[in-house]
Amino acid sequence: MSAPSAHDVCVIGGGVTGAGIARDLSLRGLSVLLVEKGDWGGGTTGSSSWMIHGGPRYLEFDWDTTRLSTQDAGYIVSMARNMVYRVVFIIPVLPHDRNNIERMETAMEVYDRFQPLKHAHPHVRLTAEEARQVEPGLAADVIGAVTMEEWGVDPHRLVFANVQDAIAHGARALNHTRVLDLLRDGGKVIGVRYRGPDGATSEARAKVVVNAAGPWVPEISRMAGATVQLRPAKGVHIVYPHRISNFSISAESIDGRDLLMVSHAGFTLLGTTDDDFYGDLDSVDVLEDEVDYLLQAFERVFPSIRAYRPVRTTAGVRPTLFKWRRYEDELSRRYAVIDHSPDGADGFVTIAGGKLSMYRLMAEETSDVVCRMLGHQAPCVTATRPLPGNESDVEPPPELGRRCGITTLAAMKLQSRHGSNAAAVLQDARSGRMVCRCEPITEAELAHAARHEQVRTLADAFRRVGLAAGPCAGGACVLRAAAVIGSELGWSAAQRFDAAREFLRGAWLGRAPVLGHMGWAQEEMAIGAHRGLTN
Amino acid sequence: MARADSLAKLAFAYGVHLTRRRLTRPRSQVTKLLETYAADGIRPLLKEERERHPQLIGCINCGLCALAAARIGSVRLPDLATSYMRLYARLGEAGSDLSGDSPELEAASAACPVGVPLGEVTAIVRRLAAG
Repeated sequence: MSAPSAHDVCVIGGGVTGAGIARDLSLRGLSVLLVEKGDWGGGTTGSSSWMIHGGPRYLEFDWDTTRLSTQDAGYIVSMARNMVYRVVFIIPVLPHDRNNIERMETAMEVYDRFQPLKHAHPHVRLTAEEARQVEPGLAADVIGAVTMEEWGVDPHRLVFANVQDAIAHGARALNHTRVLDLLRDGGKVIGVRYRGPDGATSEARAKVVVNAAGPWVPEISRMAGATVQLRPAKGVHIVYPHRISNFSISAESIDGRDLLMVSHAGFTLLGTTDDDFYGDLDSVDVLEDEVDYLLQAFERVFPSIRAYRPVRTTAGVRPTLFKWRRYEDELSRRYAVIDHSPDGADGFVTIAGGKLSMYRLMAEETSDVVCRMLGHQAPCVTATRPLPGNESDVEPPPELGRRCGITTLAAMKLQSRHGSNAAAVLQDARSGRMVCRCEPITEAELAHAARHEQVRTLADAFRRVGLAAGPCAGGACVLRAAAVIGSELGWSAAQRFDAAREFLRGAWLGRAPVLGHMGWAQEEMAIGAHRGLTN
Repeated sequence: MARADSLAKLAFAYGVHLTRRRLTRPRSQVTKLLETYAADGIRPLLKEERERHPQLIGCINCGLCALAAARIGSVRLPDLATSYMRLYARLGEAGSDLSGDSPELEAASAACPVGVPLGEVTAIVRRLAAG
């Protein structure tokens, strides 16, 4: 084992909260080590609804959560311009819905008071005919609708932009690095013991250790002899590889819950379930029942939903704060920053609960606690400082496309991931050669991801640049992508095949619950294309 | 306590809303909605496009259409049915990629194993990209 590295702070967990804390503390001048057992944003963050929203449904429970999350969403929208886009919901009202149109509009009128905080427009009310003019696929018995605006975001890029900025300010960030134990000196936590991607065990000393492990928070806390109780809740989404509608749609489930069909930049997420989860956090399966539960709700407001071909599912576990005797849906999305000194674990802090829209605020409050513990005085600057790629305006996409020999669409997508750094990504002779045509992704971008963005597997490339996220689900690009990444990382031919096989096996687990007739056509083509791999 | 407080405030807002509805005449807001979001490329499909939409986005990216007819504008034909149709109305400036001659789209559609009507796909992408 090599000599331990020394840091002011070690942050455990590379979801959006952990990455946000690492960025915040680095910008305050502290030396930070960030460790993540999988890939950046590969847990709860990546399985979210990909929205930074205020959560109008919390108006029934807790206006403060709505206010805080809309305010913080406003900051995120300003500092991550390249990766956010407007998402406009139609909320149709049907006969016998839990809320009639007047109640629904009242909720939106109240929500409109918060909308300016996140630079969003107020709602409008639509008659049944107007609603069907805006979205002709709505059911015939819709009696009216209201609209609501939110922001969509690529959470994987959001996490990585935070990691990038932390690294740029001196942090050390390690993905595929699992914490095995906490180092202790009597009643004080003094660092972590971890295993890196090469299997080697190392130690890092830190004056403060922050537990930002999301649903794994209780597991890390136990290492410090502390107890943090969560009420983990499983959330499932169905993923369609297209925008089904330009307007996102909400629907009421059979048990009265609000579900969303969210139109993102080139795909649609339909979800989510919200069920208490007691299983293995590292292996969250999607059940066909859960898929049917979601489709049943949307069939009522959007009857043609079953004619569309989903390409996969996602499943994640929310790290909700513990509360007894409440339905999952009624649980608060509040968060708690816990200093474990009273538990006999000095120098150990946990951040638990919360939601993506409030990640920056959660990071700020956690960093404030850490700075107090260290006696370090420096203000938080994350609310106003742009994330990497947002320091200046992007050049017009047709110009970038012409200069780099790619289509305007490819240039637009590249800018959505890298902002004003897009041209630098294409400083490579392979700039115009496409690997993934659905997204689209060039060889140069993929090579850049392997070289500069800590991509170590094809699944990492899916998260970093959207590899295989489109309609072919990797059928057409996975082998070529393995060759590009493999040449950067020095993989042998066997390692390239293994990487492709591992990716396809993982993708299959998410796809199996939603394969319909058209899905099988896709599947058979992919199986044929990869037959050589599976023998 | 927070919940009781929230429900009380919502109840008050509901009373205000009902009173306002009684005192004012409702006006159509659909034009305002469409104008507000046109700049973001958020535009509705037509009724007939909606009915055909599941077929229009059925491409599985096998590439057979490219053998029958290679490109439309600067876009390889399978990319039209996959990446351009993924976004459809949010195409913005990417509509310029499609300017130019249309190839033998009927022959390309005949080669498609899942029956994507590429002529219709071209028409809808061009219409929505033009705004």
